[in-house]
Amino acid sequence: MAKRVKARKIVKGYAEGEALVSQMALGFNHGVDPKTGVIKENDHVLQGVSMKGKVFVFPNGRGSTGGSYALYRVVQEGGGPTAMILKKADPIVIAGAVMSQCPTVDMLENGAYDEIKTGDYIKVDATNGIVEIIKKGER
Amino acid sequence: MYLNEEEKKMLNGEMGEPLRFAMELLTTLGEVNGAEIMIPIKHAHIAGLSFKTHGVAGCEWAERMADLGATVRVPTTFNVSGWDPTRDLGYPKKWTEYSKRITSAYMRMGIHGISSCVPYFVGYVPRLGESVAWAESSAVVYCNSILGARDNREGGPSALAAALTGRTPEYGMHLTENRRGDVLFKVTTPLKNITDYGALGHFIGKQINTKIAVIDGLSDINSRNDELLSMGACMAVLGAPTMFHVVGVTPEAPTLEAAFGGKTKYEVIEFGKKELEDSYHALTNAKNRYVDYVSIGCPHANLDQIKEVADLLDGKKVKDGVMFLVHTNMGIKEIARQLGYLETIEKAGAIVTQGFCSPLGDPEDFGLKVMATNSAKTAFYGPHGNRMDTWFGSIDKCVEAAVTGYWSY
Repeated sequence: MAKRVKARKIVKGYAEGEALVSQMALGFNHGVDPKTGVIKENDHVLQGVSMKGKVFVFPNGRGSTGGSYALYRVVQEGGGPTAMILKKADPIVIAGAVMSQCPTVDMLENGAYDEIKTGDYIKVDATNGIVEIIKKGER
Repeated sequence: MYLNEEEKKMLNGEMGEPLRFAMELLTTLGEVNGAEIMIPIKHAHIAGLSFKTHGVAGCEWAERMADLGATVRVPTTFNVSGWDPTRDLGYPKKWTEYSKRITSAYMRMGIHGISSCVPYFVGYVPRLGESVAWAESSAVVYCNSILGARDNREGGPSALAAALTGRTPEYGMHLTENRRGDVLFKVTTPLKNITDYGALGHFIGKQINTKIAVIDGLSDINSRNDELLSMGACMAVLGAPTMFHVVGVTPEAPTLEAAFGGKTKYEVIEFGKKELEDSYHALTNAKNRYVDYVSIGCPHANLDQIKEVADLLDGKKVKDGVMFLVHTNMGIKEIARQLGYLETIEKAGAIVTQGFCSPLGDPEDFGLKVMATNSAKTAFYGPHGNRMDTWFGSIDKCVEAAVTGYWSY
């Protein structure tokens, strides 16, 4: 059964897609291939996995402020996620999300953030601050 | 957030895309941080302008903004770009080409391309209590701590957004209640120079994160601004502080009580002789004593440091195979030229760069391996960001290493 929860809008917009969940923070600066969306950061648990077309779920950004420009480039060149869900958004990801106009939310209610698993289907209505989670296999 | 009529027009795009972007970013940051209103700023300083940070994406984004008519509303300067337009230090062609394009895009927005991390050394000195929007972590700390002006830890895009709108959301360091000290550091050993102050910055930075350090024990010593700058710069690369207080020295800390704003319970940490020595060791990772790169001026050297280097180098020669760079900006370099300091330094075979610095300029790409520096910030980045073995010590030790090619201490 689909679960609908409230979230905080960071950048407005609507998008849906399969979730890609990262347990780790991600530095977009030199960390993601802009065309394929493949995560390149050496020590990252998702190294080699692509975020292209996914709803990317991650705790927050890390690394230098260059991450904002890098996130913009990833979205611009087609390797980017359709939407982002963060545990708590940080200024670097916020700036990159605003620059690229990628629908983004954070601070999901009722512990929903921790329930999302890779492969779940997610509808992100950032404009109204609503996230719908359809568990894998229930669609 | 409450927005006035003009701010609403900016946000809904009536005043063009650059202002729409800027106001969307500022309102988002404001709402996330609990701001209620926008406040005017008097000056902005934009950072993250090197090709290393901007990349192709940032360059093209800035050019698009400039094409769309982005124009700053308040005096705005920009940070060190990691590229010296006056000389060929051996950069890859792509680096030079993109550095030029990034600089020119921001200049088209009306920004002064001073390419320096120390805007306050070229005349931008905000007053006590005045709000600004500065990026560059060392400048943020200098601004709040030493000048008593008010500034959050901005990134490149948010500082630009503030410059374009002339506003910033009122939260964090713009509010008096957030400027009180959190932890007391008692300094019980004398600090002699920039390097010692940098070592103290390292000690504080590794345990402070975003807290505000109150430092006591320095008031009897003549804590110069460039020494406090060196301390704050190193603090700001290990943690994410926006401010420190030095009791009896910095403007918002006339007394210990004032620095803590009435707080009476706080952690007390001592910094003595042993802690000073430990910090020196932590900032030195080299074993090989044959130095091939010497770097002074991070943050950018002021006139006193350039004169000190000139006096130490007078009549000597930098050893063959050693690159000795002193980093500053075009303003201080020009004064040094007219006063004759530059000639002495260049005669000895050292180079005074402008708009360049070691952490951003990637000296390792020139084939250099072992660095000596008097900057705690550069020493911290040495092994991590620049893959170089690093010796950390005072200016006279660094100059000696440049002349002999050997770190003898």
